[in-house]
Amino acid sequence: MWFYMKLAWRNILRNKRRTIIAGISIGIGLAAVLLHAAVTKGMISSMITTTTSSFIGDAQIHQNRFRDTQDVEKTISNLDDVVQKLKHEPLVSNFTLRTISMGMISSPANVNAALLVGINPETEQNLSLFDEAIKYGKGDFFKGTNPRDIVIGSKMAEILEVGLGDRIVVTVAQVKTGDLSQEMFRISGIYHFGIKSLDANMMFIRLPRAQEMLGIPGQVHQIAIKFHDTRTALNPNLPFWKTYSANSNEAVSWITLMPQLDMMLKMSAFGTLIIIIILGALVTFGIINVLFMSLYERMFEFGVLRAVGTRPGGIRKLIILEAGALGLISIAIGITIGFLITFILIKTGLDYRGIEMGGMVFQDLLYPEIEWWHYVVYPIGVLVFTVLVGLYPAWVGGRMRISDAIRKSL
Amino acid sequence: MDNHLIKTENVKKIYKDNGVEVEAVRGISLSIMPGEFSALVGPSGSGKTTFLNIISGLDTPTSGDVWLDGKLISQMKGKELSDFRRDHIGFIFQSYNLIPVLTVEENVEYIMLLQGVPKKERHDRVMEILSEVGLQDYAHRLPTKLSGGQQQRVAIARAMVSKPDLILADEPTANLDSKTGAELLEMMKELNHKKGMTFLFSTHDKMIMEQARRVITLKDGLLS
Repeated sequence: MWFYMKLAWRNILRNKRRTIIAGISIGIGLAAVLLHAAVTKGMISSMITTTTSSFIGDAQIHQNRFRDTQDVEKTISNLDDVVQKLKHEPLVSNFTLRTISMGMISSPANVNAALLVGINPETEQNLSLFDEAIKYGKGDFFKGTNPRDIVIGSKMAEILEVGLGDRIVVTVAQVKTGDLSQEMFRISGIYHFGIKSLDANMMFIRLPRAQEMLGIPGQVHQIAIKFHDTRTALNPNLPFWKTYSANSNEAVSWITLMPQLDMMLKMSAFGTLIIIIILGALVTFGIINVLFMSLYERMFEFGVLRAVGTRPGGIRKLIILEAGALGLISIAIGITIGFLITFILIKTGLDYRGIEMGGMVFQDLLYPEIEWWHYVVYPIGVLVFTVLVGLYPAWVGGRMRISDAIRKSL
Repeated sequence: MDNHLIKTENVKKIYKDNGVEVEAVRGISLSIMPGEFSALVGPSGSGKTTFLNIISGLDTPTSGDVWLDGKLISQMKGKELSDFRRDHIGFIFQSYNLIPVLTVEENVEYIMLLQGVPKKERHDRVMEILSEVGLQDYAHRLPTKLSGGQQQRVAIARAMVSKPDLILADEPTANLDSKTGAELLEMMKELNHKKGMTFLFSTHDKMIMEQARRVITLKDGLLS
């Protein structure tokens, strides 16, 4: 075997130009897969981070069925106990309480239905990005002390034809009586995410004011939670879910809250698979072409090897080993090209800013992420693949008629 | 039959060339004794290449039988035939046909490697045979760094190193100048004499015909 390996290696280096060209073409395929995997990983991380940190959080607690019905009567049970537990929860880095209800917002020019979110600005800043989004808009995020401050989105401000400091009226139905509760607010901040659903349909007021308007003092509909490690939320068997899904409450991760994002991530994985298949198909013909060129070019030589007593299996072994040697060279080229390009993009970032995907808009540069297993699994895949592709030329080589192969001589 | 190294009985070979049947060998019965130094001669198209292919087990006859060292090789197939060629037949080709990526030593030892001969023994035997063909100082060179005559010497060493019963040489002097060809022929004759190996040449070279102890002439696929 060692002898055949040596022979295969020398044979593959015999026509260096052809081997390098083939190696580059296969290597570019590998590099493309590595780069795509790194960009996808970076994109996924960015999407998860943007989604979870913009508003949703890594997890949320509600009363059962609140998510489905948005019924404002369904406030979180045993809120004080839950809050106390969360304060001592080692997995949790931050959490914030919210009321969630539908309301009408009206200005002298227009009226709009929107989600009224009652928040605690101090804890909300640790969890969501609305305070950050103000930078792209106007004003500030509840820096003043006026209890009648309201923060709305840029699109809503456009619809209502209002600006910073303008007064608007918010109307909600009280939870217990259904009576309308109406309050006047002053616009203290206008945020801009670039996501229409966020910029047009949400308004924020302080939590006590919201509780008062809804008639649910000391009660909330939602606790948004941030874990120390975002990946914690990916574990469906985490005891956290069970612990906080008690007393008619439910604790769910962002995967449950944003099924469309989860679907997007699965589609990304599927996209990677499609790219691998397409590149694999292209590379297949490249490898077969090189191996057959090499086979036919050296048919006479193989004939001599067979004549002097090499078994058909020996010829097959040699061709497969040559395919493997070509694979190794391609892997070295592919890893080098793939790593270099990925490394450069990690330093410079990809400008996807403003592009909407899966209901979210990229706010920052996208940075590819290298995962070590990409550089193990995909190269091994290339090696296995080249060897598998080499089986066909090997089969042809093993079946050659010796007398035909050496016809020019004996 | 027991004394014959090669015996063929009414060997025929019919090819199909573009759908047309071509009778390349039309029934050759021949015996070659051990230790012979014979030449197979004939014009192009006489069937000598086909006949040599059949004798060496590189091709199978359409009908008839071929015995080599008492074994019916015309019925052998696959691994059995490969192993038989490896152990019993040495080949010398017109264009040397050494493996260009292997050194002289590796080319010569290849057959012994297939035979599973231990490394030390392989090395000793390679050096011994290279010494006999005068190339002991070229063991680590690649064939491309040798002259035509030297390459053919390596081919002879490769053919002889495993001590086969029969050495088939196809036009071994065709690519060499007459002086080198004469030297090589003399060397093969000496090896034949010293080691008792059987040589069968396919040739147009008058020098080989003159040196051969027996000349077998083929014409139109038949012995003439």
